[in-house]
Amino acid sequence: MAFEDLLNDPVIQKYLHELVGPTGMPVAAAPPDGEVTDEELAEDLDLELNDVRRALFILYENDLATYRRVRDEDSGWLTYLWTFEYENIPENLKEEMHRLLEAIEQREEYERTHEFYLCEVCSIRFEFGEAMDFGFECPECGSPLESMENNHLVDAMTRRVDNLRDELNVDATS
Amino acid sequence: MSVSEAEAELSEDERAGLELIRQSGGIHQSDFWKELDVSSRKGSRIAEALASTGLIEREDTVYNGHNTYYLQPAAKDLDFALLMAGDMLSPFIGEEEINANSDAFSQWLMNLAYDDY
Repeated sequence: MAFEDLLNDPVIQKYLHELVGPTGMPVAAAPPDGEVTDEELAEDLDLELNDVRRALFILYENDLATYRRVRDEDSGWLTYLWTFEYENIPENLKEEMHRLLEAIEQREEYERTHEFYLCEVCSIRFEFGEAMDFGFECPECGSPLESMENNHLVDAMTRRVDNLRDELNVDATS
Repeated sequence: MSVSEAEAELSEDERAGLELIRQSGGIHQSDFWKELDVSSRKGSRIAEALASTGLIEREDTVYNGHNTYYLQPAAKDLDFALLMAGDMLSPFIGEEEINANSDAFSQWLMNLAYDDY
Protein backbone atom coordinates (compact mmCIF):
# COMPACT_ATOMS: atom_id res chain seq x y z
CA MET A 1 0.00 0.00 0.00
CA ALA A 2 1.18 3.51 -0.79
CA PHE A 3 1.01 6.77 1.19
CA GLU A 4 1.04 5.09 4.60
CA ASP A 5 2.54 8.18 6.27
CA LEU A 6 -0.46 10.24 5.24
CA LEU A 7 -3.04 7.56 5.97
CA ASN A 8 -1.85 7.24 9.56
CA ASP A 9 -3.12 10.75 10.25
CA PRO A 10 -6.62 10.48 11.76
CA VAL A 11 -7.63 13.85 10.26
CA ILE A 12 -6.73 12.59 6.79
CA GLN A 13 -8.73 9.41 7.35
CA LYS A 14 -11.68 11.51 8.39
CA TYR A 15 -11.22 13.73 5.35
CA LEU A 16 -11.31 10.77 2.96
CA HIS A 17 -14.32 9.34 4.74
CA GLU A 18 -16.10 12.68 4.38
CA LEU A 19 -15.43 12.68 0.63
CA VAL A 20 -16.25 9.09 -0.38
CA GLY A 21 -18.58 8.01 2.44
CA PRO A 22 -18.61 4.65 4.24
CA THR A 23 -19.14 2.53 1.08
CA GLY A 24 -16.22 4.14 -0.72
CA MET A 25 -13.91 4.04 2.25
CA PRO A 26 -12.31 0.62 1.54
CA VAL A 27 -11.22 2.02 -1.85
CA ALA A 28 -9.94 5.32 -0.43
CA ALA A 29 -8.19 3.77 2.58
CA ALA A 30 -6.02 1.28 0.70
CA PRO A 31 -4.43 2.95 -2.34
CA PRO A 32 -2.24 0.42 -4.18
CA ASP A 33 1.16 1.32 -5.63
CA GLY A 34 1.07 2.14 -9.32
CA GLU A 35 -1.86 1.68 -11.68
CA VAL A 36 -4.95 -0.38 -11.00
CA THR A 37 -8.23 -1.03 -12.80
CA ASP A 38 -11.64 -0.57 -11.19
CA GLU A 39 -12.30 -4.27 -11.73
CA GLU A 40 -9.14 -5.30 -9.90
CA LEU A 41 -10.10 -3.09 -6.98
CA ALA A 42 -13.63 -4.50 -6.86
CA GLU A 43 -12.23 -8.03 -6.84
CA ASP A 44 -9.50 -7.37 -4.25
CA LEU A 45 -11.80 -5.48 -1.89
CA ASP A 46 -14.86 -7.64 -2.56
CA LEU A 47 -17.00 -4.62 -3.47
CA GLU A 48 -19.60 -3.82 -6.12
CA LEU A 49 -18.00 -2.37 -9.24
CA ASN A 50 -20.38 0.60 -9.09
CA ASP A 51 -19.29 1.49 -5.55
CA VAL A 52 -15.64 1.31 -6.57
CA ARG A 53 -16.24 3.54 -9.61
CA ARG A 54 -18.21 6.04 -7.59
CA ALA A 55 -15.39 6.35 -5.03
CA LEU A 56 -12.75 6.67 -7.77
CA PHE A 57 -14.62 9.47 -9.52
CA ILE A 58 -15.04 11.38 -6.25
CA LEU A 59 -11.29 11.08 -5.68
CA TYR A 60 -10.75 12.21 -9.28
CA GLU A 61 -12.91 15.30 -8.76
CA ASN A 62 -10.80 16.19 -5.73
CA ASP A 63 -7.47 15.77 -7.58
CA LEU A 64 -6.70 12.65 -5.59
CA ALA A 65 -6.77 10.16 -8.47
CA THR A 66 -6.14 10.23 -12.22
CA TYR A 67 -6.86 7.69 -14.95
CA ARG A 68 -5.81 6.84 -18.46
CA ARG A 69 -7.93 4.91 -20.89
CA VAL A 70 -6.58 1.99 -22.85
CA ARG A 71 -8.49 0.18 -25.62
CA ASP A 72 -8.27 -3.58 -25.57
CA GLU A 73 -7.29 -4.56 -29.11
CA ASP A 74 -9.28 -7.79 -29.14
CA SER A 75 -12.54 -6.77 -27.54
CA GLY A 76 -12.41 -3.05 -28.40
CA TRP A 77 -13.44 -2.26 -24.82
CA LEU A 78 -11.97 0.64 -22.88
CA THR A 79 -10.10 -0.08 -19.68
CA TYR A 80 -9.53 2.64 -17.10
CA LEU A 81 -6.14 2.51 -15.39
CA TRP A 82 -6.24 4.49 -12.17
CA THR A 83 -3.43 6.09 -10.21
CA PHE A 84 -3.95 7.46 -6.70
CA GLU A 85 -2.50 10.97 -6.29
CA TYR A 86 -2.57 11.30 -2.53
CA GLU A 87 0.47 13.58 -2.52
CA ASN A 88 -2.16 16.28 -3.21
CA ILE A 89 -3.94 15.69 0.10
CA PRO A 90 -1.83 18.17 2.13
CA GLU A 91 -2.40 20.93 -0.44
CA ASN A 92 -6.17 20.25 -0.39
CA LEU A 93 -6.27 20.39 3.40
CA LYS A 94 -4.25 23.58 3.41
CA GLU A 95 -6.91 25.09 1.15
CA GLU A 96 -9.61 23.81 3.54
CA MET A 97 -7.80 25.52 6.42
CA HIS A 98 -7.94 28.81 4.50
CA ARG A 99 -11.66 28.34 3.82
CA LEU A 100 -12.36 27.51 7.45
CA LEU A 101 -10.40 30.57 8.58
CA GLU A 102 -12.48 32.80 6.29
CA ALA A 103 -15.73 31.31 7.62
CA ILE A 104 -14.78 31.75 11.28
CA GLU A 105 -13.74 35.35 10.63
CA GLN A 106 -17.10 36.12 9.00
CA ARG A 107 -19.06 34.42 11.75
CA GLU A 108 -16.99 36.06 14.49
CA GLU A 109 -18.02 39.46 13.19
CA TYR A 110 -21.69 38.39 13.28
CA GLU A 111 -21.40 36.97 16.80
CA ARG A 112 -19.73 40.15 18.07
CA THR A 113 -22.27 42.53 16.58
CA HIS A 114 -25.51 40.78 17.54
CA GLU A 115 -27.35 40.10 20.76
CA PHE A 116 -28.88 36.70 21.36
CA TYR A 117 -31.73 35.23 23.39
CA LEU A 118 -32.14 31.60 24.32
CA CYS A 119 -35.06 29.30 25.05
CA GLU A 120 -33.51 27.10 27.71
CA VAL A 121 -36.18 24.44 27.25
CA CYS A 122 -35.83 23.99 23.47
CA SER A 123 -32.17 25.12 23.24
CA ILE A 124 -33.08 27.42 20.36
CA ARG A 125 -31.23 30.69 19.93
CA PHE A 126 -32.85 33.86 18.60
CA GLU A 127 -31.41 37.17 17.47
CA PHE A 128 -32.59 40.20 19.46
CA GLY A 129 -34.99 41.30 16.69
CA GLU A 130 -36.57 37.85 16.38
CA ALA A 131 -36.91 37.55 20.16
CA MET A 132 -38.65 40.93 20.28
CA ASP A 133 -41.06 39.90 17.49
CA PHE A 134 -42.01 36.86 19.59
CA GLY A 135 -42.50 39.08 22.67
CA PHE A 136 -39.51 37.32 24.30
CA GLU A 137 -41.45 34.07 24.47
CA CYS A 138 -40.38 30.88 22.73
CA PRO A 139 -42.65 30.29 19.68
CA GLU A 140 -42.29 26.52 20.22
CA CYS A 141 -43.03 26.10 23.93
CA GLY A 142 -43.98 29.54 25.27
CA SER A 143 -41.14 29.72 27.84
CA PRO A 144 -39.57 33.12 28.46
CA LEU A 145 -36.45 33.82 26.36
CA GLU A 146 -33.35 34.66 28.38
CA SER A 147 -30.56 36.97 27.33
CA MET A 148 -27.57 34.86 26.32
CA GLU A 149 -23.87 35.61 26.60
CA ASN A 150 -21.71 34.41 23.72
CA ASN A 151 -18.33 35.58 25.04
CA HIS A 152 -17.14 32.05 25.57
CA LEU A 153 -17.98 31.11 21.98
CA VAL A 154 -16.35 34.25 20.60
CA ASP A 155 -13.20 33.61 22.67
CA ALA A 156 -12.95 30.07 21.32
CA MET A 157 -13.36 31.40 17.77
CA THR A 158 -10.71 34.07 18.29
CA ARG A 159 -8.24 31.48 19.54
CA ARG A 160 -8.83 29.20 16.55
CA VAL A 161 -8.50 32.15 14.15
CA ASP A 162 -5.16 33.07 15.77
CA ASN A 163 -3.93 29.48 15.54
CA LEU A 164 -4.98 29.15 11.89
CA ARG A 165 -3.40 32.47 10.91
CA ASP A 166 -0.22 31.49 12.67
CA GLU A 167 -0.11 28.07 11.03
CA LEU A 168 -0.94 29.40 7.53
CA ASN A 169 1.30 32.43 7.92
CA VAL A 170 -1.60 34.79 7.20
CA ASP A 171 -1.45 38.32 8.57
CA ALA A 172 -4.43 39.68 10.45
CA THR A 173 -6.56 41.74 8.08
CA SER A 174 -8.14 43.95 10.70
CA MET B 1 11.55 7.89 0.57
CA SER B 2 9.42 9.11 3.47
CA VAL B 3 9.62 12.61 4.88
CA SER B 4 11.49 11.62 8.01
CA GLU B 5 14.05 9.68 5.95
CA ALA B 6 14.57 12.67 3.67
CA GLU B 7 15.08 14.81 6.73
CA ALA B 8 17.64 12.45 8.25
CA GLU B 9 19.78 12.68 5.11
CA LEU B 10 20.13 16.48 5.10
CA SER B 11 23.50 18.17 5.49
CA GLU B 12 24.02 20.47 8.44
CA ASP B 13 23.50 23.60 6.31
CA GLU B 14 20.32 22.18 4.79
CA ARG B 15 18.99 21.30 8.23
CA ALA B 16 19.64 24.87 9.44
CA GLY B 17 17.89 26.20 6.33
CA LEU B 18 14.87 23.97 6.87
CA GLU B 19 14.68 25.08 10.49
CA LEU B 20 14.76 28.74 9.43
CA ILE B 21 11.98 28.23 6.87
CA ARG B 22 9.82 26.40 9.38
CA GLN B 23 10.35 28.99 12.09
CA SER B 24 9.65 31.95 9.82
CA GLY B 25 6.65 30.21 8.26
CA GLY B 26 7.85 31.57 4.90
CA ILE B 27 10.80 33.66 3.73
CA HIS B 28 12.12 35.16 0.48
CA GLN B 29 15.26 33.52 -0.82
CA SER B 30 17.03 36.90 -0.88
CA ASP B 31 16.56 37.14 2.91
CA PHE B 32 17.11 33.46 3.47
CA TRP B 33 20.83 33.35 2.64
CA LYS B 34 21.50 36.53 4.59
CA GLU B 35 19.83 35.13 7.70
CA LEU B 36 21.66 31.86 7.31
CA ASP B 37 24.89 33.79 6.91
CA VAL B 38 25.96 31.98 3.72
CA SER B 39 26.64 33.26 0.18
CA SER B 40 23.67 33.81 -2.13
CA ARG B 41 24.96 31.02 -4.33
CA LYS B 42 25.09 28.60 -1.44
CA GLY B 43 21.70 29.76 -0.15
CA SER B 44 20.25 29.03 -3.57
CA ARG B 45 21.73 25.51 -3.59
CA ILE B 46 20.34 24.79 -0.13
CA ALA B 47 16.86 25.99 -1.11
CA GLU B 48 16.96 23.93 -4.29
CA ALA B 49 18.02 20.82 -2.42
CA LEU B 50 15.25 21.23 0.16
CA ALA B 51 12.63 21.81 -2.54
CA SER B 52 13.71 18.68 -4.40
CA THR B 53 13.10 16.54 -1.30
CA GLY B 54 9.58 17.97 -0.97
CA LEU B 55 10.33 19.33 2.51
CA ILE B 56 9.66 22.89 1.36
CA GLU B 57 7.83 24.65 -1.48
CA ARG B 58 9.73 27.13 -3.67
CA GLU B 59 7.77 29.58 -5.83
CA ASP B 60 8.86 32.35 -8.20
CA THR B 61 8.06 35.79 -6.91
CA VAL B 62 9.01 39.44 -7.21
CA TYR B 63 10.26 41.03 -4.01
CA ASN B 64 11.63 44.57 -3.60
CA GLY B 65 11.64 44.89 -7.36
CA HIS B 66 13.72 41.84 -8.17
CA ASN B 67 13.00 38.23 -9.05
CA THR B 68 13.50 35.77 -6.26
CA TYR B 69 11.82 32.74 -4.73
CA TYR B 70 9.46 32.46 -1.83
CA LEU B 71 10.33 29.51 0.39
CA GLN B 72 7.75 27.98 2.69
CA PRO B 73 7.26 24.77 4.65
CA ALA B 74 5.54 22.01 2.67
CA ALA B 75 1.78 21.74 3.23
CA LYS B 76 2.23 18.29 4.79
CA ASP B 77 3.88 19.93 7.82
CA LEU B 78 0.72 21.85 8.68
CA ASP B 79 -1.31 20.94 11.73
CA PHE B 80 -4.45 19.59 10.07
CA ALA B 81 -6.04 19.05 13.49
CA LEU B 82 -6.98 22.74 13.29
CA LEU B 83 -9.78 21.59 10.94
CA MET B 84 -11.33 19.67 13.82
CA ALA B 85 -13.70 20.80 16.57
CA GLY B 86 -14.13 17.91 18.99
CA ASP B 87 -14.48 14.93 16.65
CA MET B 88 -16.10 16.98 13.88
CA LEU B 89 -14.24 17.91 10.71
CA SER B 90 -14.73 21.29 9.00
CA PRO B 91 -18.23 21.16 7.48
CA PHE B 92 -17.00 22.92 4.31
CA ILE B 93 -15.10 19.89 3.06
CA GLY B 94 -16.81 18.60 -0.07
CA GLU B 95 -18.90 21.80 -0.30
CA GLU B 96 -18.56 24.28 -3.16
CA GLU B 97 -19.36 27.37 -1.11
CA ILE B 98 -18.67 28.27 2.47
CA ASN B 99 -21.73 29.38 4.41
CA ALA B 100 -20.72 30.95 7.72
CA ASN B 101 -24.32 30.76 8.99
CA SER B 102 -25.12 27.15 8.12
CA ASP B 103 -26.45 24.78 10.79
CA ALA B 104 -23.54 22.41 10.27
CA PHE B 105 -21.07 25.20 10.94
CA SER B 106 -23.03 26.30 14.04
CA GLN B 107 -22.71 22.74 15.31
CA TRP B 108 -18.97 22.80 14.57
CA LEU B 109 -18.61 26.07 16.53
CA MET B 110 -20.57 24.66 19.50
CA ASN B 111 -18.14 21.72 19.55
CA LEU B 112 -15.25 24.17 19.43
CA ALA B 113 -16.53 26.19 22.38
CA TYR B 114 -17.44 23.03 24.32
CA ASP B 115 -14.03 21.49 23.70
CA ASP B 116 -12.44 24.53 25.29
CA TYR B 117 -13.86 23.85 28.76
